[in-house]
Amino acid sequence: MNVPHKTIRIYSSWYRHLKVYSKNFFSNCFPPIIEPLIFMIGIGLGLSQYIKSMDNLPYIQFLAIVLPLAAALFTAAFECSYGTYIRLEYNKVYDYMLSGPLNIDDIFIGEIIWTGTKGFLFSAIVAAIFLIFGILPLNFDILIIPVLGFTTSVMVASVSLIFISFIKNINQINFFITGFISPMFMFSGTVFPLANLPVPIQWIINIFPLVHTVQLARAIYGPYPLHFIIWDIVYCIGFTLIFSYIAIRRMKKIIIK
Amino acid sequence: MNNDKIVISGTNIHKSYDSFKALKGINFEVKEATCFGFLGPNGAGKTTLMKLIYGRNNRDLNNSNKLDVFGYDPAKDPCEIKAITGVVPQDNNLDADLNVMENLMTYSKFFGLRKSRVKKRIDELLDFMQLTEKANQKCIALSGGMVRRLLIARSLINNPKLIILDEPTVGLDPQVRQIIWQKIRQLKKEGITILLTTHYMDEAYQICDKIIIMDKGEKIIEGKPKKLLKENIEKFVLELSPLPKSKLDKYLKDIEDVRFEYEPDQPVYCYSENFKSLQNISNRLSSDDYVIRNSNLEDLFIKLTGRSLNKHQ
Repeated sequence: MNVPHKTIRIYSSWYRHLKVYSKNFFSNCFPPIIEPLIFMIGIGLGLSQYIKSMDNLPYIQFLAIVLPLAAALFTAAFECSYGTYIRLEYNKVYDYMLSGPLNIDDIFIGEIIWTGTKGFLFSAIVAAIFLIFGILPLNFDILIIPVLGFTTSVMVASVSLIFISFIKNINQINFFITGFISPMFMFSGTVFPLANLPVPIQWIINIFPLVHTVQLARAIYGPYPLHFIIWDIVYCIGFTLIFSYIAIRRMKKIIIK
Repeated sequence: MNNDKIVISGTNIHKSYDSFKALKGINFEVKEATCFGFLGPNGAGKTTLMKLIYGRNNRDLNNSNKLDVFGYDPAKDPCEIKAITGVVPQDNNLDADLNVMENLMTYSKFFGLRKSRVKKRIDELLDFMQLTEKANQKCIALSGGMVRRLLIARSLINNPKLIILDEPTVGLDPQVRQIIWQKIRQLKKEGITILLTTHYMDEAYQICDKIIIMDKGEKIIEGKPKKLLKENIEKFVLELSPLPKSKLDKYLKDIEDVRFEYEPDQPVYCYSENFKSLQNISNRLSSDDYVIRNSNLEDLFIKLTGRSLNKHQ
């Protein structure tokens, strides 16, 4: 029996996540789809009575373009924090995966891509709902949203795994969600533009991965200079590669003793 | 297959977890298609050693040592080893959300097995481990014995050459233990090499061709179970209920060829090659509260390691 090819090993890790997730699909997909809708109804509809436009767009459209990415953000944040920690410490999932011919990087590349898959799916579903209600325009540019959802999820997954590799108990995940994910959601140009914030703060905020996928999403309504588009794309790719690499090394350190 | 071919060998294996030394220089050799047992109390280092063999954890590499598993070093090529190995862990690490069939299907994907072949293989394995009617049962609803049988079935999915079983019958009732031993013997007949850890001496005696007794990370003794008993401990044991030392001295007066262990308020053990000597002692007792039996691996183990708990137990 030979060791299967790397793509098969990564696929088998991805498949395991898919299989387990789909067992409880309805309860699992409820938050990532419904939360952005509630946000849109509450904040979007509510605030738009008072805010006529933001960045030359009706406020509802200003939100509609990024709430699919918020779905991707939160699904990744929870999957790779609580999900990973429970797999690691309580269910011993990585233990049993490691008794097959898989490396740590096979397992976690599969997990990161799976998280990206969820980001792709849920950002697509939320965007489709907004399309149906006429809040998003029906054009080919919209197809970029699920791709940006995938990218957002993959970046957040990497950061999350690194965080998990350091914590000592499940409660410490609170620091990640409240201390990183929530601020990132609020301050990435999602609910208000960043342009009028003090410039030093804008520089700091640009570290947030979500800022870049949000900017690329907003480019659908343009205008957005090409060199900024390229910079955002480069940032996303670079961030993914660097942080995934660190994440996998950290997981290897704590799992293989 | 060649019964003298050595397929696994370890030389000077050390393993430390931070400052704790779990293995202190273990040496062993395993022949193909045999069942090799690692015995010892909890904390002896048995599970640690198993995890090094299939590359789950890494051994200390800072002194000269060697670990060869079917031609591969687990520090360099763990996946090659795992491709031909089946691992049956001590804990239940099945996917609780999936049912029996789904657990096996998902696991088969790790090996890149073709779906058409896998279905057939799964049916064979469920039949072999007597789980066919449980195929659609959720794993949460399985009893302890069924979980263990499923873990064994899972470990066989890739037709392994080597199976590692870590305490395979802990917590199981006697009938299930017997079935599992029977299956292990069957697998050995099919040419599979079996590594087993246990702290049940009867299990080691029943199914292992060769054993190593370990304690505190070190090898105490090694050999074939029957031979170990013959060469290292008296053939018979007399067990007595707790009694005062003075009474014991009276019962043992003039009896030469008996070794005894005495602790106040503990059962007394008298060992001898000579059945008659033990019978003579028992005839002096005022009650029937005694047993004369053959000595077993547990007696040998306690002779070698003492009766009090060590700090890792």
